[in-house]
Amino acid sequence: MNQTAVASNKPVNGLWFVFWVAILVYLPTLLTERTLFGIPLTNTQLLNLGLTQINLMLISMLGALSLNYLTGCAGLISIGHAAFFATGAMAAAIFDNQLGLPFPLVLLAAALAGALAGTLAGLPSLRVRGLYFVLSTLAVHYVVTYIFLEYQFKFFDVVGIPYATPQIGSIEINTPVRWYALLLPLVILVYVGLKASLKSREGRAILAMRDHELAATAMGVDVRILRLKAFGLSSAIASVAGALFAYYLSNVTSEAFNINFAIQFIAMIIIGGMGSLPGSLVGAAIWLLLPSIIGGLSPDASSENAFLSKLLVENRAQLVQLIFSILVIVFLIFAPGGVAGLGTSLKNRWTAWRNTP
Amino acid sequence: MNTVLDIQHLSVAYNRKGLALEDVSLQVPQGGIVALLGANGAGKSTLIRAVTGLLDLHHGKITDGRVHMSGQIVSGMPAHSLVRMGMGQVPEGRLVFKHLSVEDNLLVGAAVLPRAQVKAGLQAVYQLFPRLLERRNQAAGWMSGGEQQMLALGRAMIAKPKLLMVDELSLGLAPLIVIEIYKQLRVIGETMGTAMLIVEQNAHLALSFAHSAYLLQQGRVVLSGTAQEVLASPEMKVSYLGEAKAGKGTT
Repeated sequence: MNQTAVASNKPVNGLWFVFWVAILVYLPTLLTERTLFGIPLTNTQLLNLGLTQINLMLISMLGALSLNYLTGCAGLISIGHAAFFATGAMAAAIFDNQLGLPFPLVLLAAALAGALAGTLAGLPSLRVRGLYFVLSTLAVHYVVTYIFLEYQFKFFDVVGIPYATPQIGSIEINTPVRWYALLLPLVILVYVGLKASLKSREGRAILAMRDHELAATAMGVDVRILRLKAFGLSSAIASVAGALFAYYLSNVTSEAFNINFAIQFIAMIIIGGMGSLPGSLVGAAIWLLLPSIIGGLSPDASSENAFLSKLLVENRAQLVQLIFSILVIVFLIFAPGGVAGLGTSLKNRWTAWRNTP
Repeated sequence: MNTVLDIQHLSVAYNRKGLALEDVSLQVPQGGIVALLGANGAGKSTLIRAVTGLLDLHHGKITDGRVHMSGQIVSGMPAHSLVRMGMGQVPEGRLVFKHLSVEDNLLVGAAVLPRAQVKAGLQAVYQLFPRLLERRNQAAGWMSGGEQQMLALGRAMIAKPKLLMVDELSLGLAPLIVIEIYKQLRVIGETMGTAMLIVEQNAHLALSFAHSAYLLQQGRVVLSGTAQEVLASPEMKVSYLGEAKAGKGTT
């Protein structure tokens, strides 16, 4: 019964796959040449998006994926995610600017530094739970950003740490299209990797631990080790994302990794759906793309309504903040499962509707 | 017969609040079903915690005595390693993994098995509880209480434990379902030789399925013997069932 269902789904899945590959491959052309199969498009028609926003979104997706793995899947709430981004940025400065390692090795070093920092940050989880643990991640945030600040001032200066253009072999990653070509496979790799890891024995044990720690222990799961592993993996990914973020911006100060930076990832996974990896991608996309979409509305509005356009242009930042806060509250109250939860319930309704004669 | 669980002179205290268990000795033979009876606060849960290694979590401490499993001292070992040594647990309140599917719940339990044996383990559980096969892709937290209890039992049994600790299986379940699950428990015991220690509020029910029983009162064993002996004994009627209810069994 089940097998026929899978078999009949397959061609549809294949079509979806081709569709997505086509979109993702065509996207850089669309956003840099700003034409759709030869037809020129206006900024507004392209939702005011450029490839830079897409690239920053891809970096944020790494952050959201790793936080959702930690919070949504392993059940450890962390507001220290900016700290691991900062760890990655700092690792990049040490291993590239100071030691001159090639870029791929710098990323690897950033991953290791992140794993180490994450495991250390996870140590309080051996003794404290819930709110107290959340507070310990907050402490980690301030410790790491303080170290970052000290490091920045000791070896660089107030303007921040400069990052060179990364190079893989002889190819310089110096255009948005090349960044896209680097980041997209990386996001896919992390996504597929996390997805597969959750289907493994340890992944299942992580989900079990989230659902009930005591019962997981009673099933032979060593929750303490598992928690540290989850923390290490999540931080390693966040740290790589932090290194990439620093390279992408080419100059970073400790200010970049403030507490808002950490909280935005929590917002992303709330909007996208706690515990859902695809939801993390959606949440990051909404969080990163919506501001420029809102900004893109203003020129159009100007022709029809002077008041609205003035409001949009002059108060864009506030408007974006307002919309986001409302979004988070609305999701928390009406769709605690986020976009992913909404998707599942729609799918359930659809199958229920299809199965009723 | 081999003794699987051997508790010798066990005493347990919580946070210096006096002894919760005092000089308790208890044996479970291979293939034997032993019922642990007692009123609320008699120390049943404490005994289970002491054996399963969860005492730390509740700030309790073994002050005296030893717990052996299959000849090895296991008191003081961490809970998760006890499971790997062959101690299965069906915790009080079932505690299934709500958001995981039925099959994933079973697979979490099967993680201590060699990979090659997992499939056979799943089949054995599905044979025992066909209901779980029907629901295998459903999220466990949204099943009925009886189904969740079957799942909790299957999840523990899939690892082929030598000893199974069953805590308050009947909690909040309809009597018919409880009897059905107990019957399967007995099948498990007979076919696999699993030793079982069963904590149960419903003494009549427990005594009709168990081979032998221990009665705890204020942290001490006041009575032990075969199920028939315990059922017939005057202490049992007076101290645990209460004189008024003694005549009205539910089984």
